[in-house]
Amino acid sequence: MKVTITDQEEITVVEVSGDIDSKTAPEFERNAKLAMDKSKHIVIDLTDVGFMSSAGLRVLLMVYRNIRSQEGKVVLVGVSEEIQDVMSTTGFINFFTIVEKPEDGVAFLKQD
Amino acid sequence: MESKSFPGTVDSLDALREYIGELSQQAGLAKKPTYSLKLAVDEIATNIILYGYQEPGIEADFQVLSEIKDDKLVVILEDIAAPFDPLAKELPNAQDLTLSLEERGIGGLGIFLTINGVDEFSYEYADGKNRNKFVMKIAAT
Repeated sequence: MKVTITDQEEITVVEVSGDIDSKTAPEFERNAKLAMDKSKHIVIDLTDVGFMSSAGLRVLLMVYRNIRSQEGKVVLVGVSEEIQDVMSTTGFINFFTIVEKPEDGVAFLKQD
Repeated sequence: MESKSFPGTVDSLDALREYIGELSQQAGLAKKPTYSLKLAVDEIATNIILYGYQEPGIEADFQVLSEIKDDKLVVILEDIAAPFDPLAKELPNAQDLTLSLEERGIGGLGIFLTINGVDEFSYEYADGKNRNKFVMKIAAT
């Protein structure tokens, strides 16, 4: 798994590629925290993530709570059908905005 | 039964999922059930590695036994850690899963996804080993 962080004005984009499991989730978490220190508007791009276990859901939960407490916003991008299924079974899906492309995520965060 | 050994560390998870992918392909499982099985096996293996082996400081392998029989793919994870029945843990219920993400606990999600994703899941402790068994039905084509 690889994570890259880029800033686009007020928005920080976290791009993950590879699998998120209990080996790689700590690295994902570290980068997500780094991004939230920079900005309260976060895009998490999961286009190149083929697999995510509950270890990844835990990181998303942490992100959600952190962003809520800062009154920020988070958008997920390019979530695969299988990962959306998992988010749906666990009820996570209702709490996240999911879009297809990074630019849609940025546009959503710029709305207000 | 076919058998393959993996070292009990999180570094094995990648190779384990790949192996489950190969078994699923041999069995002719479709894409979604393949993903569900990979997820289920990954979740249980993670518990074995982190809590069965690493926490008490045990260095050991775990085994994946498998068999394609009739219209089923059977996968069994076997480990020598202390007895641990994943089914004995309280799982999130329907109401927990509708709670907002601020209110809910995160425990048991992995096991919930395991049970939810496979056609049958069972556990037994026999001959000093934990045996977690996953069964996927193979759809007739």
